Amino acid sequence: MSYLELAGLQKRYGASVAVDDVSLAVEKGEAVALLGPSGCGKTTTLRMLAGLVEPDRGAIRVDGIAMTNLPAHKRNMGYVFQSYALFPHLSVAGNVAFGLEERRRPKAEIARQVEDALALVRLAGLDQRRPRELSGGQQQRVALARALVIHPSVLLLDESLSNLDAKLRDAMRHEIRSIQRSLGITTLFVTHDQVEALTMCDRIAVMHRGRIAQIGTAEDIYERPATRFVAEFVGRANALPATRGPDGKVLLWNEPQPVTAPASGEFDVFVRPQRMRIVPLSEAVGAETVRVSGRILRSVFVGDHVEVLVEGAGGQLTVEMPSGSPALAEGAEVAVIWRAQDSLPFPREAP
Amino acid sequence: MSATRRLRLLLVPAGLFVLAIYAWPTLLLLRNAFNEVGPTGALVAAWSLKTAADTFADGFTFELTWNSIWLSLVATAIALALAYPLSLFLFRTTSRWRGVLAVIAILPMLISGVVRVFGWLAILGDRGLVNGLLQWLGLISAPLKLVFNWTGVTIGLAESIMPYMILALLAGFGQLDRTLEEASRSLGASPFRTFLRVTLPLSLPAIVLAAGLGFVLSMSAYITPKLLGGGRVFVLATEIFEQATTNTNWPAAAVLALYTLVLLLVLLAFSNLLARRLRR
Repeated sequence: MSYLELAGLQKRYGASVAVDDVSLAVEKGEAVALLGPSGCGKTTTLRMLAGLVEPDRGAIRVDGIAMTNLPAHKRNMGYVFQSYALFPHLSVAGNVAFGLEERRRPKAEIARQVEDALALVRLAGLDQRRPRELSGGQQQRVALARALVIHPSVLLLDESLSNLDAKLRDAMRHEIRSIQRSLGITTLFVTHDQVEALTMCDRIAVMHRGRIAQIGTAEDIYERPATRFVAEFVGRANALPATRGPDGKVLLWNEPQPVTAPASGEFDVFVRPQRMRIVPLSEAVGAETVRVSGRILRSVFVGDHVEVLVEGAGGQLTVEMPSGSPALAEGAEVAVIWRAQDSLPFPREAP
Repeated sequence: MSATRRLRLLLVPAGLFVLAIYAWPTLLLLRNAFNEVGPTGALVAAWSLKTAADTFADGFTFELTWNSIWLSLVATAIALALAYPLSLFLFRTTSRWRGVLAVIAILPMLISGVVRVFGWLAILGDRGLVNGLLQWLGLISAPLKLVFNWTGVTIGLAESIMPYMILALLAGFGQLDRTLEEASRSLGASPFRTFLRVTLPLSLPAIVLAAGLGFVLSMSAYITPKLLGGGRVFVLATEIFEQATTNTNWPAAAVLALYTLVLLLVLLAFSNLLARRLRR
């Protein structure tokens, strides 16, 4: 049995289903991201876990103990809100001490723990400040210290980095990850930002329309997306419309390809831009290589790589080349190749 | 002319209005307070402090002061106890009836004070709704005296200031935020503890604002103490009217009016100070 278990959680608001059927098992000390676009039900799932939203169906267990009917204040879960939700009428120390005071710990112990928690998030010395006297990053740290100081059974982070600027977000990402690891605290992290999910978590649960579309390591999700949605949402992908030739062979951009087709129905072939290479039309390719031909439309230097837009019989695609590769003239006729195993066929969705 | 100066021109009509209907009469009042009333009861123009000295030598003035303050405190406290939960509910509800409910809550404001008093007479009178019900239930044999005394005035006053206090509370609840209460719950505070530690402290500025307003309105209320008091309730406002009309002692009325004004200004300054400290 896993440390944290969600079984068949469902939440409806009137006719709309926020969370349809979410089951998830998290091991002790593991960090799992709930990744998905807004409205996919990830925050509602987190709020159900914290007891802030009552599920219509399903069960929540932590360490084998049923939590489903426990009120929020008895769940001992640390929640870091997107807006931080620091108490404006209390000092930084007062905010961090809040949970310990509610647990009726002795004064001396509270003082010591607050000090330790503030040191952990590198805010020592700011204990008497008011929240609004702090920068966004500092407020974020106070919220984290406040949630950690109660030694929660699970740490819940709700889009906790989305209000920070890009540089700070990067720093906080690594900081939270290292704190999470050193404390060995089981963490659920809600985010719509795939970089956050990829860098901060052991496993990622990609959510779509109130369900978990796929759960796995960052590599699983990226290299072996289970559904078309996951392939589209995580990382970038070219979707090439596929057709079936008279002999049953798969055609991409009107050329027969060594790609296995699904049994029936229309489908697209997904390929990551950095798995593609641009070669001269004359270059011979092996049997296990997919090859389409087109014309270079545009080539854009983006710092660490060059994005090349190629247009052919079936539309456009983007190829990511390492910067420093030989320059390509716009308008040049080229071939785009990739290994057959890098092709991911997914059924076409009805528009 | 710069934009800000042009904008300041917008203040002129309001400024003239206040000058005409407030500043000028107050100055006249001030002038009148120095006049005297002769032995025949005729007004004697003078620059003397005799009227003021007489007024403050009279123990009745202090009884009136105490009556006014005590009545206002009790009425404000009752109104606040009723208005606070109601406002909190209105502030938070996501019901589509929210607008309608808010209008209902402040509806008494739209009814004339006199009409409202007669409504209370019908409810609280000897043969009114409350006494009728209590007698029908057999809880009392003789009607309770609920009007033409302090009880009636306190009830009527509390009701009349409630709409204003609800509006003040709703306006002052700005800092309240559901997420803060959720944060408190997640940190282990029960709903009651959350109210004590988060909701109440964050709504204190609103409470001070509303209480200050309720108190000022109660202190200056005339119709309710006059009509529901049945001539047995004496407060500063009724006495000012008495002096000005029945006794035609304008200087005494002016002294009392200015005295009330100063009292209110002091109390208002105090409540402002309190509100500012709370907001820090």
